[in-house]
Amino acid sequence: MSVQTARVQPQPQPQRTEPRRQLTPVTAPAAKRRPRLAYAALAIGAAQMGISLATTQDAFVLADLNIQQHELGLQKQALHENLVGISSPQSLAVKADAMGLVVAGSASYLRLSDGKVLGTSEGGNWASTVDPNGATKVGNALLAPPPPTAAEKKAAEDAAAKRDEAAAGAVEPAGPPVITDGLPTPTTR
Amino acid sequence: MTTRATRAQRRRTAVALAVILMVLGAFVFRLVDIQVVHADDHVAEGVNTGNLGSTQVIAGARGDITDSDGTVLASSVLVYDAELSPRLIREFEEQTDEKKKPKLAWHEASERIADVVGIDVDDLRDKVSKRIEQDPNSQYLALATGLSTEQYLELRDLKTDDGLAYIAMKPRSVRVYPNGAVAGSALGFLDGSGKPLYGVELMDNACLSAKNGEMTYLRGQGGVKIPGSEQITPATDGGTVQLTINSDLNWYLQQMIAEEAKKQGAKAGSVTVVDVKTGKIRAMAEYPSLDPNDVNSVDDDYWRSQIFSYWFEPGSTFKPVTAASVINEGAATPLTSVTAPDHKKFPNGAVVNDPFKHPTYRYTFAGALIDSSNVSLSQFGTMISPEKRYDYLKKFGVAEKTAVGFPEELTGLIRDPKTWGPQDLYTTTFGQAFTVTPAQIAGAYQTLANGGEKLDLSLIESCTTSDGTVIKPDPPKSERVVTEETAKTVQRMLENVAVQGGLAKTIEVPGYRIGIKTGTAQTPDGKGGYKKGVYFTNMAGIAPIEDPQFVVLVTLDEPTRIRNSGATAAAFQKAMTQVLKTYRVAPSSQPMDELLPKFD
Repeated sequence: MSVQTARVQPQPQPQRTEPRRQLTPVTAPAAKRRPRLAYAALAIGAAQMGISLATTQDAFVLADLNIQQHELGLQKQALHENLVGISSPQSLAVKADAMGLVVAGSASYLRLSDGKVLGTSEGGNWASTVDPNGATKVGNALLAPPPPTAAEKKAAEDAAAKRDEAAAGAVEPAGPPVITDGLPTPTTR
Repeated sequence: MTTRATRAQRRRTAVALAVILMVLGAFVFRLVDIQVVHADDHVAEGVNTGNLGSTQVIAGARGDITDSDGTVLASSVLVYDAELSPRLIREFEEQTDEKKKPKLAWHEASERIADVVGIDVDDLRDKVSKRIEQDPNSQYLALATGLSTEQYLELRDLKTDDGLAYIAMKPRSVRVYPNGAVAGSALGFLDGSGKPLYGVELMDNACLSAKNGEMTYLRGQGGVKIPGSEQITPATDGGTVQLTINSDLNWYLQQMIAEEAKKQGAKAGSVTVVDVKTGKIRAMAEYPSLDPNDVNSVDDDYWRSQIFSYWFEPGSTFKPVTAASVINEGAATPLTSVTAPDHKKFPNGAVVNDPFKHPTYRYTFAGALIDSSNVSLSQFGTMISPEKRYDYLKKFGVAEKTAVGFPEELTGLIRDPKTWGPQDLYTTTFGQAFTVTPAQIAGAYQTLANGGEKLDLSLIESCTTSDGTVIKPDPPKSERVVTEETAKTVQRMLENVAVQGGLAKTIEVPGYRIGIKTGTAQTPDGKGGYKKGVYFTNMAGIAPIEDPQFVVLVTLDEPTRIRNSGATAAAFQKAMTQVLKTYRVAPSSQPMDELLPKFD
């Protein structure tokens, strides 16, 4: 036998004992390993975005409400300014006096326990101890009428001028003749 | 198993990844450099060029002043100053593109604006065209100042709805006094720049003044505020000051004293009401009354309160103080009597006259007060030493400022008893040779009414800061000046003056027992002597006598119809009636004690 033939002939392979393979049917697919980390990161990211959205949304709502509050505040101020001055004691007294209300003298008191009348026995009379509509009103510049505008002044001047004209141009009605020589007597024959 | 193919692929991936990472790393490095390392420099640079940050002042509002019931007597409101931009008006008029013009042409717009503001429309158009002629690029023309919020809202609607961008409005804070002249001299006033000049506005400025706040924010391009970059220091508003004054009562007394002063032909008048048990001033009514809304409506002499800033020799109103001093020392009783002609020359050369001619009487102390006899008082008063009288006068409040601390308050003057001349020795017994203010007289009568215990007068009830803390002033200091028995005796003498005196019918307050004393003081004529025929008249009273609760002091300066203190009688009666009614004081149930004898 030559070496070449020796080479051609297959060498007996060493017997390798293989472990006996267990063949089992696949009942369920093997559970995939969940990428928990990715899910967690995604969830956190989503939550953050959601909160951020909510905050910015609320910021707009807040800005809106602020504007509303400011507006209402301005309206309240405007209405309040209408009342200022009108609720002063001077203004109320003037109106009350015009309606006929008076500030009277001493008050009488009724004691409820026994019905006794204490204090002055004379009733209130209609004489007021003060005159709020008189010449000496307690002043309040807020109640003074606003100064006339130029148009109003002009109109007032025109009206006054017209009145003067009318007065000057009016023809006086003929009065009775002036008597200087005694009463006129009829001359009789 | 990594084949050559996979190895090559992997290498390419790794290289690509490495490049990306390097680029990212470069970015991160640069970011860290900008935002962390050089952060301060960049911010400073931004701030310096002025475009980065912006600071706005947040104005704080000055506090209100209210009366004892909470009625607002002084408050700060915003008014608006409007201005126009003539240049914009011109540009809008010259603009041909309809979309860029405002909805209203200048002709119509000027009418609407003039209507809202309350000026003549021709005037307005004139002014605008003149300004455009003078300077076509002028951006400022004052339209109106002091517009109310309502007018501001209307102009703002014109601006936003109709596109009138040439209207600009600036807010300005002004002080408004809703009740006008009521308690005006107590409130005081501010000057044009908001600085307090007088009254409670000045006295309590620490409570009323506000602290401004600040808002800093960062701006992006176009001036847009970067959200989240705001830093706010909030403003602190001023606190509310509550006065002890009752504004409705004050109004009535002001109205009443004005009418009485006119009726009696007097130059001026005042009414002061003090609560006996607490020393609180319940009313400060004056004529002429200062209206803080319009300070110039009152003569210069009268913008100061007469009650605190006017001094005079009180006259007979201080006779009860002499009586209290003498009786407290045990030197006399209401029944002690002296011989009194209507004109007496004393051994030391002093001459004293009574206010009316009468034969020589034997006046009791009570009678001396009822008839207001100077000669009798001179004799009664000198039953104790002048030093003792001086001490009592000082303890009753003469020449000592009241505890109110009112601005421009006068102290009054009394000279050391060692320097008293022969005339002063006697005239100090009947209220001359020393000066007091009406507030001091009210304080002295408060002492007599409060059983001899002097309480500090007060005008301020409390200060409520903007966060709600209520700060009350310290309780008034009290000082015992005379014993309770002395005080009760003097009160009884005052009641006898009210019932037996010449003005009894005029001053009677139905249902109540009151005590009064009149005073007719001479006023200096500025040349070292006294004016002839005109006097500073006053009347002080206490009610109800059996348990005093209120002191009322009425003054009339130089009445001409009735020239003595009888002029104040009607005013006093009305004032006392109204005070007792306002505070629902129970009518007197006990009858008066036996009348004290006038003569012996």
